[in-house]
Amino acid sequence: MNAGVVTASVTQPRPRQRPSLLSGRRSPLVYGFAGAGGLLTATGLVFKVQQGGHSWPDAIVNCLGGLLFLAAGILAHTRRPDNRVGLLMVTVGFGLALENLQLSTTSWVHSVGMLVARASSGFLAHLVLAFPEGRLHSLFERALVVTSYASVFLIVPIAVPFDDTSRHPVHTPNALLVTSRPDLDRLLNGIVEQIGAVVGVCIVVILVRRWRAGSPPKRRVLAPVLLAVLVGGVATAANGLVRPYPLRLELLWIYWISLCVLPVGFLAGVLRVHLGDGSVRTLVIQLSGALPPNRLRAALARALRDPSLQVGYWRADADAFVDQDGRVLPMPPPGSGRDVRLMERDGRPVAILVHDSALSEDGKGMDAIAAAAGLALDNQRLADEVRVQLEEVRASRNRIMAATDAERRRLERDLHDGAQQRLVAATLYLRQLEHRLGDTIDHAAAELLDRAAAGLDAAIAELRELARGIHPAVLTEAGLVAAADMLAARMPMPIELTATDLPRLTPAAELAGYYVISEALANTLKHARARRVEIDICYEDGLLRVRVSDDGVGGAAIVPVASSPSVHSAPDTDAAPVRLPPGTRSEADAFLHHGTGLLGLRDRVAALDGTLAVDSSPGLGTTVAATLPAIPIRQGGRQ
Amino acid sequence: MTTRRTEETERHGKQADGWTTSGGKPVRVVLADDNAFIREAVARSLGDFGFEVVAEAGDAASLRTAVAATAPQVAVVDIRMPSTWDLAGPVTPAVNPRMLLSDQLGGLHAAKDIRYEHPVVGVLLLSEYLVSSQHLERFFGDSARGAGYLLKARVTGLAAFAEAVHRVAHGGSVIDPEVVAAMMGRRRSLVDGLSNREREVLALMAEGLSNGAIAGRLRLQGKTVESHVNHIFVRLGLEPELDGHRRVLAVLTALGLRH
Repeated sequence: MNAGVVTASVTQPRPRQRPSLLSGRRSPLVYGFAGAGGLLTATGLVFKVQQGGHSWPDAIVNCLGGLLFLAAGILAHTRRPDNRVGLLMVTVGFGLALENLQLSTTSWVHSVGMLVARASSGFLAHLVLAFPEGRLHSLFERALVVTSYASVFLIVPIAVPFDDTSRHPVHTPNALLVTSRPDLDRLLNGIVEQIGAVVGVCIVVILVRRWRAGSPPKRRVLAPVLLAVLVGGVATAANGLVRPYPLRLELLWIYWISLCVLPVGFLAGVLRVHLGDGSVRTLVIQLSGALPPNRLRAALARALRDPSLQVGYWRADADAFVDQDGRVLPMPPPGSGRDVRLMERDGRPVAILVHDSALSEDGKGMDAIAAAAGLALDNQRLADEVRVQLEEVRASRNRIMAATDAERRRLERDLHDGAQQRLVAATLYLRQLEHRLGDTIDHAAAELLDRAAAGLDAAIAELRELARGIHPAVLTEAGLVAAADMLAARMPMPIELTATDLPRLTPAAELAGYYVISEALANTLKHARARRVEIDICYEDGLLRVRVSDDGVGGAAIVPVASSPSVHSAPDTDAAPVRLPPGTRSEADAFLHHGTGLLGLRDRVAALDGTLAVDSSPGLGTTVAATLPAIPIRQGGRQ
Repeated sequence: MTTRRTEETERHGKQADGWTTSGGKPVRVVLADDNAFIREAVARSLGDFGFEVVAEAGDAASLRTAVAATAPQVAVVDIRMPSTWDLAGPVTPAVNPRMLLSDQLGGLHAAKDIRYEHPVVGVLLLSEYLVSSQHLERFFGDSARGAGYLLKARVTGLAAFAEAVHRVAHGGSVIDPEVVAAMMGRRRSLVDGLSNREREVLALMAEGLSNGAIAGRLRLQGKTVESHVNHIFVRLGLEPELDGHRRVLAVLTALGLRH
């Protein structure tokens, strides 16, 4: 399948309703008709009462039918301004009210009413055939509509001048009477009735055929209307065949009741085709959670009320749309009753929806659902991409960290085995020289020798600290507890170190644990004014837990300030709260300066999927706790 | 420095430039360090002080062999020695992490073995850093007899170092002052009830000095030291009249060597 072809064939605009004065906009015409219809209905009710001889139920049902059509029409038009069904429903209601004019006892009003005595039938035929899309489907349907309009608006008025109403049971004089020709009047009315019966039968047949050809969504739309039309149509047809005039009362009742049901059915149909805001809302909410492909399809099918819905995902490598199981989705041939909806993003195909053609009627609803689905599908794709990228970045971060750590380990080892050992050896030789010379040299020479040796000692001490800052050899060689012990020994305040008999763990985890302790102690020393510190180390259930808590001033917070590796935000950072013994000062300084900083620490912990938490309320001390996934490692040597 | 050496030399009644056994023969030493410069320099230094370095070893295995073969009185052992793997090779992230982590405390393991297999051989451990008390505890075992632990930096204080080697060679105990200071710092509640002088005495007890040596170091009368020691014993809840290596271990235990 070629993507370009797909895009072209699918994205070409669907045949929408022809541009009309009604398309897409709410029309004052509809409300005008509705208003007039309402007034006429009220007038008709008055006429009926004046005329007498009409039962209350008859009057009420008669009015109700018209009003229901008007109300349903307005609602349908409001919800679907681009669908003519609303207008047609209003005209049916209007027509029904118009017919009531003939009930007037005023002669000329009665005669005008006679001219439009069957107005509603024409509108009704049009409505039923145009339902639910609001347009006629074939030339035959148009012919039917034209025929019925001609019958009710041409033939009926032609008969009026020959109808001498003074012979009717209710004898309001006919103002338009030319000559009393009951035979002609009966003939013309008979023609109208026969036409009505034939059109009615045709409509029933068309509806039944539509029903049989229809998909489940379409059938649901047609069902109420088909039922009402069947009943009403049969009644009308029966009336056309069963003489004499006037109508049989039972048939009239059936006709009226089905007339009342019809507008409700039409409205239900229009609103059903309309994929309501509700279903879009529900869908959007469902899609806001990450849905696996099969659940996504189900959610879309529910929102579209189309169980046969298929979702095709664009696979660039296959150059095709595939379903959730990876099978290529065939394009439905034209006229198969199934439409294809393409969802694109930035000109690239994302997915297609293969759905029932009935759904194409609600352009906006379909647009909304397709947009929501497209967003979700694109999000799914983006999320997948981001996840893959994130995994790559994490892997590369871990690699970089491991490489850096390994490099630092190597550097420390080089320093230790090289320069440091040579310096120690040189100092030893110098001290031996000093020892051998003993009292044979003068005081000044002895002092020089001593100074040289002391300088070398200091250099060795600094080098040792430098190496320790680069990488704590004690950690690699003796483990986390030993390293923590060493860190604790440097602190000028009492340290309580609690550690279970820890196995050796993955180097990265041990190193992270070490840096957590080192950093926490550095911050305690610098800011906390603590009198005692507790260090807890334990390993259980695959997790290395490290906790350092002090009884200092607290108020620490993780502030990701790159320039300041401090967790404490105490304002007097310059005032060293703890006076260090002279011997430990340089160690403590080195200790602080070699800290990796909290930001680096967090990165390090996060890279291992661990967590770092700082709990520090002012006055309640500070607790830094890290949890690090770690795996025990068998030791090479013996315990 | 010179003064201190002279004093201690006199206290032990030895000739100025040598530490010898009572029979006049030099103390036999095995030296183990993975760094050849250090081995050579320390060997010379010990030689200057009258020790006889009978063997040198660069790794744990040859240390064991050397001790078994030469029956020295003392082994001076660097704690950081490769035991299984040589870490000096190229280190890359691709390297098996087990290899990187395989124990580097080869000296410690060998030292423990020697103390078990050759109880008469004293072992003086040298370490770059303060190892964990767990390690120290394993090294000492039930007795601190003939066991010493010093920071490696001490080797440049020749006379004090030579004295430590000598003490360990003769069954004495040596604990690095810095280790003792760290332990006392951590058990401050225990130490707080002591006077400054008593703390000094306690520290020297923990370092492995006898009452006589403490008296000499602090320039006190023997009786005074004894009374301090007794008071400390009461304070720490120790059995009185302990002496020698048993006293060292008891004091270290009280200071938290064993949990």
